[in-house]
Amino acid sequence: MTTIPRPAATRHTESLRMLLPQTVIQTRRLLTRWGRDPLTVMQALLFPALLLVMLNAVLGKQVSSFAGADALYGTVPMVSLVGVMSGSLAGAVTLGRERDQGLLSRFWVLPVHRASGLLSRVLAEAVRILVCTLVIFAVGIALGFRFTQGLPAAIALFAIPVLYGLGFATMVTALAVYTAKAALVEFVSLGSSLLMFFSTGFVPLAAYPGWARPIVEHNPLTHAIDTMRGLSLGGPVRDPLLATLAWSLGAIAVFAVPAAIGFRRASRY
Amino acid sequence: MQTTHELASDRAPTVAFLQWWVLARRLIRPAWRTGEIFTALLAPAVFTLGFYVPLNLVMTVYGHGLSSYAQFLMPMIVMQAVAFCAISAAFRAATDARDGLDVRFATLPMPRWVPFAARIAMAAHRAVIAIGAALVCGAVIGFRFYGSWWHTVGFLAFSLLIATALCCGADLLGSMSASPEATTQILVLPQLIFGMVSTGFAPASQFPGWIQGFARNQPVSQFVDGLRALAGDSTGNAGAVDLATLGPGLAWAFGLLVVGGGLSWRHAARRSA
Repeated sequence: MTTIPRPAATRHTESLRMLLPQTVIQTRRLLTRWGRDPLTVMQALLFPALLLVMLNAVLGKQVSSFAGADALYGTVPMVSLVGVMSGSLAGAVTLGRERDQGLLSRFWVLPVHRASGLLSRVLAEAVRILVCTLVIFAVGIALGFRFTQGLPAAIALFAIPVLYGLGFATMVTALAVYTAKAALVEFVSLGSSLLMFFSTGFVPLAAYPGWARPIVEHNPLTHAIDTMRGLSLGGPVRDPLLATLAWSLGAIAVFAVPAAIGFRRASRY
Repeated sequence: MQTTHELASDRAPTVAFLQWWVLARRLIRPAWRTGEIFTALLAPAVFTLGFYVPLNLVMTVYGHGLSSYAQFLMPMIVMQAVAFCAISAAFRAATDARDGLDVRFATLPMPRWVPFAARIAMAAHRAVIAIGAALVCGAVIGFRFYGSWWHTVGFLAFSLLIATALCCGADLLGSMSASPEATTQILVLPQLIFGMVSTGFAPASQFPGWIQGFARNQPVSQFVDGLRALAGDSTGNAGAVDLATLGPGLAWAFGLLVVGGGLSWRHAARRSA
């Protein structure tokens, strides 16, 4: 009779040195899980791609004629950011489900660095955002979108959704760990559709009536879209970029601590 | 003998009607209590705000053929309200199927159409509220009925018919899938394709050539064209109220009602067997 040796940790595993490999493993778990759920992938990739094609076919001509520039330079960034937001929401729902199923508390008793759980979510979110954005921009290029400002600007452009998405995800995570799931989903999807309708990605600022213009101008989505438009079509970049940085880093600063505390609480649930 | 007699009286039409009423109330009352019905009012408002405010000037400058974009967009606001009701109906049907409630109901001494009819009653009730909210939103942005009174009645009746037909189809999908989340996510797809690529937002002539045929002839466009003709317009360009305009839309709606209802009947029969 052979005895299988019990796996024994030869050294302390909750160390800072092990944080990176542990984070990578958990990130891979999250991404594998995401990739194997056809509905989530469809929601994150197919729906925004289809929305882009539809918006371009139905309203592209009219908006382009009104704006005097191809509407795609607003629509493509807008749809990619809307996709990022709905993806974050799906991620928050998954987080809530893992808490309810007790998975988070299972992870909590593993000999891994405490920070790896939350860090892996941030990392997985960033990878997911990048993949979604690349897909949307590929569809955009097929429809006629072009990067006219050179390679560095094009690369910088892809940092914007990641930045915006991480800020948004921090906020949604903070909300998700404190509120009921159903209310959160409705509230956030309603909010993000209103952000979309009242942004310069949908129609130019001049098309809005006077009372709506301040809302459109100070909409965080507007700043991110204007930055991405500047980096692709050309135009001012510095001001919308600074505003995007302020909104995103502001959201991270405000919601990171509640999100981390909430995650810790959810893990011990 | 006594037992058979009682069984027979259980099947009497008045009892079935009472059963239907009880099951319909089971769905309607909590919707009011939890404020779920509030979303039926909110959805048309958000849609109106989201599409009318940004697009009004753009579409007016480009031209849409009617006296105002509010008049042009109104059928789409109604369709959106109706689509929202259909998605709710699918969600409800899928929840009941997932929780095993359908199977429980199938063991009870009542006609097999009763749970289905109760869910449709709830959906129609929600549709009346949503269509009412859509009309209020339309009135706020400047939509008016220009036709005769029976055109207006026709508008309301046609809206309700479309709502019931779509809810029938959605209910069937929900009952068959038994997964509320998957069903509501999948239903975004037809809403996007049929809703966006329709004559509800822009005239078919403004679509790219390859998609014009679809945009002109698909069912949602037929619904929209019918409703637009019934609403009328001060310019007289809304279309004539005749069989050529209303026929295809009515045919789609009745077709969906008959096919959806029939398949639901069969589905219920299979489950209880």
